[in-house]
Amino acid sequence: MSKNLSHLAYRQGTGNSLFEQLVDNPAAKTDQTRQALAKEHLVGQSTVKGTASFYDFLEGNNADKKAYVCNGSACLNALTQRNVHQQLEKHFDAKDIGHITCLGRCNRNSSFRVDGVNYSGEDIDRLDEILGQKPAQQLESIYVDTLSDNAILTTPVSDVDTYYQLFNALVKQDDPETVLQQISDSGLRGRGGAGFPTGFKWLTCLQAKGDDKYIVCNADEGDPGAFSDRYLLEQNPHTVLFGMLVAGWLIGAKEGILYIRDEYPEAITQCAQAINQLPSTLMQQPRQGQDWQFSFKIIKGAGAYICGEETALLRSIEGQRPVVSVRPPFPAQSGLYNRPTALNNVETFASIHWILNHGPDAFKAIGRGRSTGTKLLSLDSFFNKPGIYEVDMGTPLADVISRAGGFSKPVKALHIGGPLGGLVPLSQVDQLTLDFESFDQAGFLLGHAGIIGVAESMPMIEYLHHLFDFTATESCGKCFPCRIGATRGKEMMQLAINDEKKLDPELLDDLLETMKLGSLCALGGGIPLPVENALKWFGDELKPFFKEDYRHAKQVNFKEIR
Amino acid sequence: MQKLAFLNDQALPIVEGETILEFCRRHKTHIPTLCDDTRLDAFGSCRVCSVDVALSKDGPAKVVASCHTPIGENMFIYSDSDRVQRLRRNIVELVLSDHPPDCLTCESNGNCELQDVAGETGVRQIRYTGGKNHIDQPKDISHPYMRMDLSKCINCYRCVRACDEIQGEMVLSVGGRGFDSKIIAGADVSFNESDCVSCGACAHTCPTAAISDKFQSKSIQATDTVRTICSYCGVGCNLDVAVKNNKILSIRASEEAEVNQGHTCLKGRYAWRFYDHPDRLDTPMIRKDGELQPVSWDEAYTYLAERLTSIKNQHGAHAIAGISSSRCTNEENYLMQKMIRVALGTNNIDCCARVCHSPTAYGMQHAFGTGAATNSIKDIKHTELILLIGANPTAAHPVTGAKIKQKVMKGTPLIVIDPVVTELARYANWHLQLRPGTNVAVLNMMARFIIEADLVDQTFIDTRCEAWDEYKAAILALDIDQLAEVSGLDSELVKGAAIAYASANKAMSFHGLGVTEHSQGSRAVMSIADLAMMTGHIGREGVGVNPLRGQNNVQGAADMGCQPHQGAGYKPVNIAENQQFYEQKYGQPMPFDIGLKIPQMFNAALAGDLKAMWIMGEDVAHTDPNHDHVVSSLGNLDLLVVQEIFLSETAKLADVVLPGTSFLEKTGTFTNGERRIQQVNAAVAPRPGCKTDGQILIDMMNHLGLDLPDFDIDTVLTEIADVVPFFAGVKWHELGENGKQWPVLPDGSDTQMLHIDGFKRGKGKFHFFEYEQSNEISTHQHNFPYILTTGRDLVHYNAGTMTRRTANEQILTEDILLVSAFDAKNKGVEQNATVRLFSDRGEINLTAQISDKVRPGVLYTTFHFPELMINRVTSDEADSETLCPEYKIVSVDFEAAV
Repeated sequence: MSKNLSHLAYRQGTGNSLFEQLVDNPAAKTDQTRQALAKEHLVGQSTVKGTASFYDFLEGNNADKKAYVCNGSACLNALTQRNVHQQLEKHFDAKDIGHITCLGRCNRNSSFRVDGVNYSGEDIDRLDEILGQKPAQQLESIYVDTLSDNAILTTPVSDVDTYYQLFNALVKQDDPETVLQQISDSGLRGRGGAGFPTGFKWLTCLQAKGDDKYIVCNADEGDPGAFSDRYLLEQNPHTVLFGMLVAGWLIGAKEGILYIRDEYPEAITQCAQAINQLPSTLMQQPRQGQDWQFSFKIIKGAGAYICGEETALLRSIEGQRPVVSVRPPFPAQSGLYNRPTALNNVETFASIHWILNHGPDAFKAIGRGRSTGTKLLSLDSFFNKPGIYEVDMGTPLADVISRAGGFSKPVKALHIGGPLGGLVPLSQVDQLTLDFESFDQAGFLLGHAGIIGVAESMPMIEYLHHLFDFTATESCGKCFPCRIGATRGKEMMQLAINDEKKLDPELLDDLLETMKLGSLCALGGGIPLPVENALKWFGDELKPFFKEDYRHAKQVNFKEIR
Repeated sequence: MQKLAFLNDQALPIVEGETILEFCRRHKTHIPTLCDDTRLDAFGSCRVCSVDVALSKDGPAKVVASCHTPIGENMFIYSDSDRVQRLRRNIVELVLSDHPPDCLTCESNGNCELQDVAGETGVRQIRYTGGKNHIDQPKDISHPYMRMDLSKCINCYRCVRACDEIQGEMVLSVGGRGFDSKIIAGADVSFNESDCVSCGACAHTCPTAAISDKFQSKSIQATDTVRTICSYCGVGCNLDVAVKNNKILSIRASEEAEVNQGHTCLKGRYAWRFYDHPDRLDTPMIRKDGELQPVSWDEAYTYLAERLTSIKNQHGAHAIAGISSSRCTNEENYLMQKMIRVALGTNNIDCCARVCHSPTAYGMQHAFGTGAATNSIKDIKHTELILLIGANPTAAHPVTGAKIKQKVMKGTPLIVIDPVVTELARYANWHLQLRPGTNVAVLNMMARFIIEADLVDQTFIDTRCEAWDEYKAAILALDIDQLAEVSGLDSELVKGAAIAYASANKAMSFHGLGVTEHSQGSRAVMSIADLAMMTGHIGREGVGVNPLRGQNNVQGAADMGCQPHQGAGYKPVNIAENQQFYEQKYGQPMPFDIGLKIPQMFNAALAGDLKAMWIMGEDVAHTDPNHDHVVSSLGNLDLLVVQEIFLSETAKLADVVLPGTSFLEKTGTFTNGERRIQQVNAAVAPRPGCKTDGQILIDMMNHLGLDLPDFDIDTVLTEIADVVPFFAGVKWHELGENGKQWPVLPDGSDTQMLHIDGFKRGKGKFHFFEYEQSNEISTHQHNFPYILTTGRDLVHYNAGTMTRRTANEQILTEDILLVSAFDAKNKGVEQNATVRLFSDRGEINLTAQISDKVRPGVLYTTFHFPELMINRVTSDEADSETLCPEYKIVSVDFEAAV
């Protein structure tokens, strides 16, 4: 957002991060410490306040709670959270219980956090026992299944030294451009949801002017319903670190930063341990006749969904308010601290080892069309076997449902790709294969491929209210369509639910179009998709909430604009 | 081949790197927007500027925000497609769903961007009703000038961005997120409690009335807007003065001004109410029976003519002296020196440049041939390193200071040589926090390190300069360790700075009174010039030696000849050829002998040699050092004439007081610190009873026997252009809105950069000077072991004559003494305690603050409050070449006051 603030943060580097101070230093809640921080970092007191007040866990009604209840979409549909709340209320004052979106325990539900430790599933039933113990992290065992012949992402790294031999071999050849070509040839596309070609992004970053470049791993898996990144970070962190290391060496970056959300404490611990396992010699290598040095840094988030948006994430690391920046410039040209930055999703980095080990052609041979390789899916508790599934791109959705043992409870739709992903009615499941193009063509979104069931019993209008509420809560507030539109959308739904005011179809249309066309990023721009899906596929259910017979048929007509 | 894009199907040329919005605007196609301010980076929040873009004529179109999307070749832009019109209307409807419907009584009515955009997008109803809103947000009226009413805020962040990207203060940000986010000042405190520097950039850019000012400067009530030039510092900000019924309603910074691009500081924007303050003088006065008594203009002139003639006849013309004013216009300064030289016959004319930048003029004339900034302020954009010596521009030259700060925040290295941790020193890569008074030692150290590192530009030296070998030998003979010791600096730090300065492709130096107001002031200026020459940092874009002129027209006062040794245009008066030149121009005999400098005038008065002084717009009794000495000198005169707008400390001592006018009431020109001659236009008529200072001088000259027409800007400026060579092509009507930078050639073309191919004096000359400790320290340090140094605060201007008659007085109420924690502890001085500060000359009491801005042994204060009389303690030590007083170091001691 502010070039000045980015430059000023560069002066401090990640070694003296204002954001980290605000997150980790309890004294940073006091005015006095904040004044000192502002002075030290050469920024305004308003800068510090502006940043701190953005995050759920730093300031405001939801900060510093003793317990947090997950309110993500999966837990909402599972209807487990009322009980969780009631159980917690037996031990905590209601005002000491906050909410959190989401803990990524969508496979188990009943998710909550106490003393910074996450719990789910049956844990709520042994609350007495939990509260009686010293809080300790427990690594969740996640059900993992692979529908692919190639377990690219779900093969555990058994021996760290052996695993990194591949990197030493690459370095020996000292030909970054050829390695980069292999990434490009593999057809790997970003797994965060947007599907941008990774090789091209890295090439842009390599070619960008500047001596200081950065690798950033977007481990802010904020989509309710997705926990595949959590799985990789907790259970297979070396796959991620390897990808970052290679990217760092290819591009000539000096530092790799993992931005991991606060909601994933186990992931932070596991990654930190994995980094400690890396021999220092691994990160001091020759690169094109010069010494290359690399280091890893973990930055912990503080509760803001928008930090999953790449520019907001970068601003967050810089200690700025994590609002979305305009593009261009793209992060690969001018990212962290206004320096070229290769920013990728966890799963994207995790694919690199296999590509370089097996060759780009082998990777490209997997998948369908422009969607190559495999993809992790997160299946929530509406499936009989919830967990992480690795599939070849292009695998029929129906196959996955069947492999997961079908649904455990009645569902009327699948919400795929996060809150901004499409609402897929069961009638459309057979049409879809798990790749970017199939979803796109059918009017849905693969996104990060979290799949949650929308309960048969869930009134669609309530679900739409939930989605608008989520967007309104998480909107950074920068662009007008999202800042005001999400709140107005939420209010419209609430009035309709309360039967105070029926939905005006024209106004809703205008609102959706305004948010879709006008929003700066995919949050405000994305919310119309599931809403339009609902209007299209669940029109009959929603009809009573409209003030007149409403057929949602208006699609953007390109001819119309002339 | 010219690259083209299509705007509503018309093929038009594009400019590489421009945005779609810029492309459309360049081709006269209006795009509505709310968050855009061309001075700020594209932000993309309002989305109102969205357009449809296709890559082929009938291809699929995409909606993009035009403000941050680059134009591309063969793009098809549809600026008003139905879809885009609907989008804009719907966005504005959302905005209005959270905005009070009180347009008709709003101060921005008729000058509100939201109103305009709502009008042009055709919003006719607000269909969202009864939702969350900010309409009941309380107003913040805590600040003397700034106003915040967030019910009217549309969250475009323009204020936050202006505070960041223009002023660089970051006092404003946004708190919270989403719909609940709101503009905050400081840590979400009131405007008044925040660290706001009241520059008004936020109010200026706010598209609604969410942030405004006490004067409601966005109101359209005024009937006239007059563009003029600020009369505070030497930056020369252009101001738009809103006027109705001969009264000033408000002032805004001129948007298109090359100097300040719509920005200015709280003095320029808000501190103007002095002009109609009840304290304004409104009648001439003559001292009768010990009292100043109102008289008619005619009586005053007649009386003065008689007294001056009589003194001249009795004691000779040299018994008369004049002090001109940098606050006045070029024309008035020109007329003042003309009156003293031509009508009264003496070169005893000086101006306040004597007490500020006379060493700069002297030093740069000796080094380069021209005593003025070598480059323009806009060169800051191009420089790759900034060397700032003895200057605190964020306080004293705020708009230039802000530009430097912007540059430095974005990564341009900065070296600060200053005994005080100034605002910019906080951002410096090298802060050489030297012992006050050791500039020459440090500059010599830098030269030594540059030579040793073999970073000199030998080609430049060989082809463009002279006296290098002697200079180099002298520098190499220096004892670095000894210099490091006297300056109190780590020589490695100095070395790092020196190497950075020399290695930079383009390095630009700025200096202020922290260089000049020393016994080695002129020498330090020449040492700065040495560094620039040896590294070739001169005669190109983004380099040079650039004095930050302290007063609005201090450059002009010297240019116009208000100096005892040089006439208008800097011709030395004591050369027969020049005497003839002036005599021919003026048609009158001209004095030959070099006249008295200001400090010499006081000495001569005290000695009884000087009998009469005419002081225009200068409060020497308050601002000149060694107050008691000045007052006794003035008291010893037979005739003291003071031309003033207020009854200043000096005016109180006068025999005759003539009521002049402020810049808001007069027409003429000021020359800013980058040699830019700009039009000053009267916004209102002179206060009843007052005359413009130019007219007063003409009237007086006519009473003294000349025959001049009434003051007319064209006539006087034409005469100046005839006399002053570098004004040759200056014509009033051709100055335009942004003025011209001298030298202005006869064809009217001006000069942004000096010494491009050769120096004015031929070759640039190196001068070596050994560091010498000031007599002040040598004589007094034993009894007065602390060094007091002084500077300006942002809020007030010099003696506060003007600013303290505005609401600025509520912002800063006293001069504060900064004391290091170490010294405070030693002296048992508590925070905010009153201390007695004393020197060999006198003592004062003031409030102490414990501060990490000064090192142990050094004290710092400002000098804006006459009642404090800080000049009771200052000395009459002065620059050896120019007699510029050594304000910057005073041997003092202090103790907790009882």
